[in-house]
Amino acid sequence: MPPKNFKRKATATDGTLSPHVATLAEQLSYLHLPRPFKNPEYTKNLNRRAKNLKNVMGQERERERAEREKKRLEKAEKDAMEVDGKEVTMENEEIPTYLSIEAPPSVLPHKHYCDITGLEAPYTDPVTGLRYHDKDVYALIKEMSASTAKEYLSARGVNSIVK
Amino acid sequence: MDIDVQPSDDLNITPLPFSIIPSIPPPPEDYTLYRSQHTPLIIDNGSTNLRWGFATSSEPRYGPNIVAKYRERKTNHPLMLFGDAVEVESGAKTQAKTPWEGDVLLNFDALENALDYAFVQLGIDTPTVDHPVLMTERLCSPVHSRALTSELMFEQYSVPSLAYCVDGMMSFYQNNQLSEQPFVSDGLVISFNTASTSVIPILNGRGVLNNAKRIPWGASQATDYLLKLIQMKYPNFPTRVSVAQANWMFRTFCSVSTDYISLLRSFEDPSILRSHQKIIQFPFLLNSNPLTGGAAGNGDEKTEEELARITERRREQGRKLQEIAARNRIEKLQQKESDLTYLLSLRDNYSSSATKREWDRKLREEGFDDEETFEETLKKLEADVKKGRKREKEKEGGTVDGEDADEPMEEPSFPLVDIPDADLDTSSLAEKKKQKLLKAGYEARLRARKERELKAIKDREEKAEREKQRELEERLDSEARSADLEGWARKLKGEQEALMTRIKDRAKRRAAMSDRKSAAKQERMKNIANLAAADEKTLGGSGPSKKGGRGTGKGVGKGTGKGRKGNAEDMFGADDADWAIYRKINTTTTISSDEEEDLAQLQQIEQKLLTHDPTFTNQHTHASIVSQRSALLNAFRPVYEEGDGAGNTRIHLTTERWRVCEAWFAPSIAGVDSAGLGEVIQNILSRFGEEEKGRLVKNIFLSGSPSQIPDIAPRLYSTLRPLFPVEMPIEIRSANDPALDAWRGMAKFAKTEEFATVGMSKAEYEEMGGERLKRWWGSNWNGGY
Repeated sequence: MPPKNFKRKATATDGTLSPHVATLAEQLSYLHLPRPFKNPEYTKNLNRRAKNLKNVMGQERERERAEREKKRLEKAEKDAMEVDGKEVTMENEEIPTYLSIEAPPSVLPHKHYCDITGLEAPYTDPVTGLRYHDKDVYALIKEMSASTAKEYLSARGVNSIVK
Repeated sequence: MDIDVQPSDDLNITPLPFSIIPSIPPPPEDYTLYRSQHTPLIIDNGSTNLRWGFATSSEPRYGPNIVAKYRERKTNHPLMLFGDAVEVESGAKTQAKTPWEGDVLLNFDALENALDYAFVQLGIDTPTVDHPVLMTERLCSPVHSRALTSELMFEQYSVPSLAYCVDGMMSFYQNNQLSEQPFVSDGLVISFNTASTSVIPILNGRGVLNNAKRIPWGASQATDYLLKLIQMKYPNFPTRVSVAQANWMFRTFCSVSTDYISLLRSFEDPSILRSHQKIIQFPFLLNSNPLTGGAAGNGDEKTEEELARITERRREQGRKLQEIAARNRIEKLQQKESDLTYLLSLRDNYSSSATKREWDRKLREEGFDDEETFEETLKKLEADVKKGRKREKEKEGGTVDGEDADEPMEEPSFPLVDIPDADLDTSSLAEKKKQKLLKAGYEARLRARKERELKAIKDREEKAEREKQRELEERLDSEARSADLEGWARKLKGEQEALMTRIKDRAKRRAAMSDRKSAAKQERMKNIANLAAADEKTLGGSGPSKKGGRGTGKGVGKGTGKGRKGNAEDMFGADDADWAIYRKINTTTTISSDEEEDLAQLQQIEQKLLTHDPTFTNQHTHASIVSQRSALLNAFRPVYEEGDGAGNTRIHLTTERWRVCEAWFAPSIAGVDSAGLGEVIQNILSRFGEEEKGRLVKNIFLSGSPSQIPDIAPRLYSTLRPLFPVEMPIEIRSANDPALDAWRGMAKFAKTEEFATVGMSKAEYEEMGGERLKRWWGSNWNGGY
């Protein structure tokens, strides 16, 4: 069964006066199209609110911690059982989770780049903390207001709350 | 002087692309092909794009993964739009929702709507979606996301079986599985996604996921970073740059540099910087500002005309206002005159004929309490009328000096003043006091007038004197100039430089004042301490008052607490030169009159030099030297004139083009506290043995749409080469079709027999729950069984 919007398109180009000319948006909309594949008996739990990222991450963390506790207990039991002389095969594989595979912070020394121009920055302004490339950029920094300086800092990830 | 961008740089100017209006999507294939076929349904659920199709199709359908449920304002029809269609309605754009938030699938209503669209487009009309489904999920996806997706698929759409896979690995499969043999390739997959970049080692056809790593930096973070850099570089940009435009700029202009440091060092030369810049021209309005005009060339004439017209208009308005004011005044005057005549007639009528009582009654009718008030009002009215008449005569008669044309005022007589107090009674005493005051005032006014006249005469004389002096100086100057131009010019230039150094020194001193530990500040403290020193000679007294000092002099407490036992007086203010100390102590930064004098003098000298000396140009003046910007900064961000409409809506991208992509290798430059690609790969490979390392490194595979950024492979090669022994071959390949290869890999896999074994059936779902999945070589491990 061809979708309904086709029929509507045909009437619009009919030449006869149609009482309602569908706008492009309406033609693109699929709200009115039949969706027989959906299960009418399935009612989503409407009270459930879409969890936001923080909650989901918190849940993951909790779960991970619970898993690790369980593993530790199991290991302890297995060690106790070793008395029997059986060979205990350790399961070396640890299950990776979303949080555990996140890359660690860098241990390489950070290279300093100018916050304003992006070139190399050998110098740092003690008042604002911005890094700059040469004396002309420094003159520019001296004229900046505190809020502009803070914006540049936040681009680098330094969010100072003081001052 | 600001160096303007050469107009011949037009080669680099790219206009912003127009947004394309989406067209009606193509009709779905006839579903009869697939009905009851149980063809696997492949869905590549990506953060940016959703790709879907049957396994037997060669091409997936795709669209941006955005859904908007929107009620059209005019017709009040509710609409649901997907993907590109959201761009059609600006109101829908604000209500658009995407299922993904960064890297995590959170919004299931949006996912449901997106899948609805996908299935409708495929033409599915059976009561359930009767196809086994293969879907992607994020590497080590949080189980919450998976649980809800499973719930959606099994309960809402009732699919018979569902399998999950990781998109990067499927893309690898597509590019490495060339025959029908079982999949045993090795390699390192680097999957570039929208909100993250993952590195997955694959050995013997199985993903070694416990050694995989994910960097939280992807194309969306890069776009945001670029947008932030642009906003900081152009804080006064006329239009708002949107995220979509920033994304276009990122995709079109940004690339990875193979050697970032040497590239930056080459930019020390402004001409090289300029040759690497890309200019993007935003749409702008011509003639947006009526005074300064728009396009160059027409601007000047238009401004003059405009200015002349505006001044004319203002003068007209002024004249009209004056006329109105004059008319009002005349009206009031006439009104007052009529009042006066009426009152006079009243007085004549009644005071002559009627009795006192009738007179009083009549007065009270008019509103006067008694005869005295009546007389007073009468007198006031007469005075007003006289003044009004006089002013009218002045206006008509031209400019007359108000003071001198006074009609000779009658000498007001003060008879009672001379009579001694004793002879008068109380009421006359009061009268006498009043008259004394009036007399004193009158005499004072006469005196003031005389003084003013004398002063005017003296001023005129002084002005003439000064004029004469100035002419004399000028004559001398021009003689000196005509005699020896060079010498004269040199002398003046010397003076100018001396003045400029003095101004600079003062500015430096002012800047040093703000620093607590500088020499200037310490000197100042010494001065204050000396002033407040509890010296025996200077103790006592209340200290000098601040009347003569220039500054506020922070808390110069003159020994107020140190005891007043001093016998000697404080002789601070006696000598005028003492007050100069306040100038040194003053820390406020307003321009003192010294500076103003210096600046004025500087201007005069420069004027003379400009007019007479051919070698002294505008560039040597103090103003231009102060406002000069370095050549490098000008190449970095050229400054356009105020009226240059086109110029002011241009964005110059120079270092940003590489800076943004450098963040993949060093996320700390953008504030993300994570290791970069090179370091992560090094970490991962260090966990494997030498032999396995060799196998992995020989087949490094780049997948995902952001891997199309130019020069990633060479840069990666140069980063990795030093980390491994020379004999180990490093090969980096990228997918044939980075955007769609994941889907194709999934489709290819779905056609094999192995596919039937990896799916989770509905029964298993109902037993295990949505958080579990059947573990196979291409899937995640968490929650697997």
